[in-house]
Amino acid sequence: MSKPSDLVQGTLDLLLLKIVALQPMNGWAISQRLKQMSSDVLQVSDGSLYPALHKLEQEGWITAEWKASENNRRAKFYSLTRLGRKHLEKEAANWDRLSAAISHVVRMEEA
Amino acid sequence: MRPQHWLYILPLRLRSLFLRGKVEQEMNEELQYHLDAKIAEGIASGLSPREARHRAMRAMEGLEQRKEDIRDTLRIHWMTDFVDDVRYAIRSLGHAPGLTLLVVMTLALGIGMTSATFSMVDAQIFRPYPVPHPGNVVTLVSTTHDSSYDNFSYREYRDIRDKTNSYDGVIAYKDMEAVGFIAESAATPKIKGGMLVSGNYFAVLGVEPRMGRGFREDEDKVPGRDPVAILGPEFWKHEFASDPGVVGKTIHLNGTNFTVIGVAPETFTGLQIFDHPDLYIPLAMARTFSTNHAVDFFEDREDRELNVKGRLSAGTTVQHASSELAALAKSLENEYSKVNRDRGAAVHTQFEMRTRGDDQNWKFAVIFVVLSLAVLLVACTNVAGLLLSRARARTREIAIRLAIGAGRFRLIRLLLTESMILASFGGMAGIAIGYGIVEWFHSYQSLIFMTDLPSSMPFHIDTRALLVSVALSALSAFLCGLAPALQSTKPDLTNGLKSADVDMPGRKKLWGRNLLVVAQVAASLMLLTAAFLMVRGFRDSALAGAGFEKDHLLMTSFDPRLLQYSPAQTKQFYQLLAERVRSAPGVQAATLTQNIPLGLDGFDSVAFVPEGFQMPRERENFVSTMDTVDEGYFQTIGIPILQGRSFLKSDTEESPRVVVVNSHFAAHYWPGANAVGQHIRLNSRDGALIEIVGVAKTIAYQNAGERPVDFVYMPLAQHSIPRMVLMLRSAGDPLQLVQPVKEVVRTVDASMPMLDTRAYGEFYRNWVIEAPRVAMKFVAGMGVIGLLIAIAGLYGLMAYNVSRRTREIGIRMALGAARSDVLRLVMGKGVLLVGTGTVVGLAMGLSLEQLMNSMLFNAGSVDILAYVVVVPSLFIVTLLAAYVPARRASRIAPTQALRYE
Repeated sequence: MSKPSDLVQGTLDLLLLKIVALQPMNGWAISQRLKQMSSDVLQVSDGSLYPALHKLEQEGWITAEWKASENNRRAKFYSLTRLGRKHLEKEAANWDRLSAAISHVVRMEEA
Repeated sequence: MRPQHWLYILPLRLRSLFLRGKVEQEMNEELQYHLDAKIAEGIASGLSPREARHRAMRAMEGLEQRKEDIRDTLRIHWMTDFVDDVRYAIRSLGHAPGLTLLVVMTLALGIGMTSATFSMVDAQIFRPYPVPHPGNVVTLVSTTHDSSYDNFSYREYRDIRDKTNSYDGVIAYKDMEAVGFIAESAATPKIKGGMLVSGNYFAVLGVEPRMGRGFREDEDKVPGRDPVAILGPEFWKHEFASDPGVVGKTIHLNGTNFTVIGVAPETFTGLQIFDHPDLYIPLAMARTFSTNHAVDFFEDREDRELNVKGRLSAGTTVQHASSELAALAKSLENEYSKVNRDRGAAVHTQFEMRTRGDDQNWKFAVIFVVLSLAVLLVACTNVAGLLLSRARARTREIAIRLAIGAGRFRLIRLLLTESMILASFGGMAGIAIGYGIVEWFHSYQSLIFMTDLPSSMPFHIDTRALLVSVALSALSAFLCGLAPALQSTKPDLTNGLKSADVDMPGRKKLWGRNLLVVAQVAASLMLLTAAFLMVRGFRDSALAGAGFEKDHLLMTSFDPRLLQYSPAQTKQFYQLLAERVRSAPGVQAATLTQNIPLGLDGFDSVAFVPEGFQMPRERENFVSTMDTVDEGYFQTIGIPILQGRSFLKSDTEESPRVVVVNSHFAAHYWPGANAVGQHIRLNSRDGALIEIVGVAKTIAYQNAGERPVDFVYMPLAQHSIPRMVLMLRSAGDPLQLVQPVKEVVRTVDASMPMLDTRAYGEFYRNWVIEAPRVAMKFVAGMGVIGLLIAIAGLYGLMAYNVSRRTREIGIRMALGAARSDVLRLVMGKGVLLVGTGTVVGLAMGLSLEQLMNSMLFNAGSVDILAYVVVVPSLFIVTLLAAYVPARRASRIAPTQALRYE
């Protein structure tokens, strides 16, 4: 389970936005939180995490700030922007519709 | 993407672009933080530091690839690549400063000349009228057998204005003319440029005065009732020191009081290209400015002095307006069969008017642009050749780049960046050169416009010319960069990697390069031929001379209309003046004439029917240029009377009317017979009968070197003209007569101004000799520059060919070839190329000559001398350019050549 190929495309963005929405966080903390929240089911490799974060930053959905972390080292903390919040709401709604539809199809009784 | 989104992310992109180092460092720091945390976690879970480190790195799946992934998300690759390309290009150009300088200079000359000449063509053809919506302002012209661009009379203008539906408004104006202007009374009048315009002139053009108001329609209703004037912007600035209180002031024009009602805006310099009126006056005031008391401007349908323009109403086409006007002309022809016989009408756009067939100025300008473009073309070809020789030296570098995976497009981009940088430098230097050329032209302004009137050359390196320069630079970057880029990035890896000296090609490969040399020789030959033709054309007309004695002549003009003289007063003034001036000290002879030969003002024309001449069926009369002179004219100017007599004191208002014609006129209508004693009738078959009493030698009247034309002289006593030129012959310096003449004028009327007082010889040298010489110098300069560029290019290409064959030459010499053999080998090629180029250039030159002849000189035949001079000199010079590298090749030491690479 080394590659995030299990993740539906675009889902990683949604997860990252959601995590950052809770509180500003640095990259390491985000990767920990992701594992922890999804009970290790959703594992995002360290390698793909950072390009994804930078992409969100360049889109203007999250913004970064250098602050001291718990261990007193300088770290880059990401937080959600207003644009990002709007985007998150939209994507979350999309996800709900999509997953509901897929569940519906999967649970259909075989005739 | 929405705009506010862009506002947000633009700073991010800019930061990525300009703070690349910082962004990079932050990225490293962020990733390092992650790795350190991961290692710490590993150690905490019991791994050795080494193992923990490995695990962390593995999880990252290749640290450098990830960094590259992150860089990709910054989306500035196209920019950073570009910046890299520019840096690389500048560095590699810096390695060859000589070549770079040569290329930049070459391009600069081409671009500079083209932008300077473009500014002329732009001013004369393309620049729109300085009014809102200039595109729908069209020109209405009257057409006859003799002219396709005739003016309209006042009555005709009113018919057009009232009986057409195609326009939002139809305006009329007379040509700018000299007006005697006095700001405060008692001073002597100054000569200013006044223009009579219809009352709706400013309203229809959409020009809002910057202060005061435009004319009201009713101010142009009743002849002579409303003396109002609008000032031109420059005039207001200089004569009134931009006085904001000028509206309402009274000024004196030709002795009449006018009230200033407005000032035209800065942007409105008039509809004409060269004339920028000082004053605008309603047409209804025409009598104050009338040049001819004999005709009634407001009633006479034949007094055609008005330029008419209309603003097309929305949705109307020029064709529709033209057919409507033609129909109106037809009905006018029926109604006024006598004065409007065979008279049609047409509507032209601004472009059509600016490129009219009977105007030469724009044709000169177009020829200049074509020549400049030819120079630019040669320059580009050259640069392409030089870049090719550079690209060759880099074959190996490029092959390596291709081999390790660079895309061809990426490489072409790199090479184009290089030529783009060259072209930008060339463009900047070119703009400076263009500016210099325009300034140089302006320095001759006073020579070309020898008049008191506000005329000037509107050529400037303005925004439009700058845009053209930039476009030309971009175009030349592309032109001269693309071929070398395509050629050198051909995916031919195996050969490229083997050695830098590989293209020992089949004939096919060299085709393009040989073609370059041939094209250069041909283009520069064409340029030189053109330059030579123009030089000869100008010199011929300058050498042809005037046909009379032009030295020791003083001229000065009088215009009694400026003092509101009546015709009788005018006549008396001139009689007294001529009488008294002839006895003034130092005056050998004196005469009054309406115009001087080869002067700035055109001659009047006269319509006539020669008695006993079989008139063509469709013609009512013939038209000839004419002058009005007194009895001293032929003797004073020195024009011989070939047959019959000159005018005499006995030719008076009461005696039978007489004329003198020139020999061309006499031979034209009475070939083989004596014209003296023959008669002509004025205007038509039943016009006044006039006897020809003398035949004068045919001289040049309008242009030096013109073809002989018909010419008629009328005696002043029988044909009164208000504005006359007094010409005086002296023994020594004609300017010494100025003071005595002033004394005489003072005794006749102290307030009469003397206008344009000059020595005729000086005027002749300036206007007839010097002014065309300016243009000639320009073309000759272009030809020489073109040749220099061509020589540089040819030299470069020959040197390239030699360096390409260094090894081959080394082998030949090692095998025993003598220096002379090598010289012959290399030169043989050069001779072949130059020869081919000469043949092609000759063909191009011949067709260009035909074009120039048909447009300008009317010579009709091939100018052999041009080719006898130009072709051999070009041949010799270009062969010299080939000889230098060939000589170098023959000195190659075989040992060195074989070690090469």
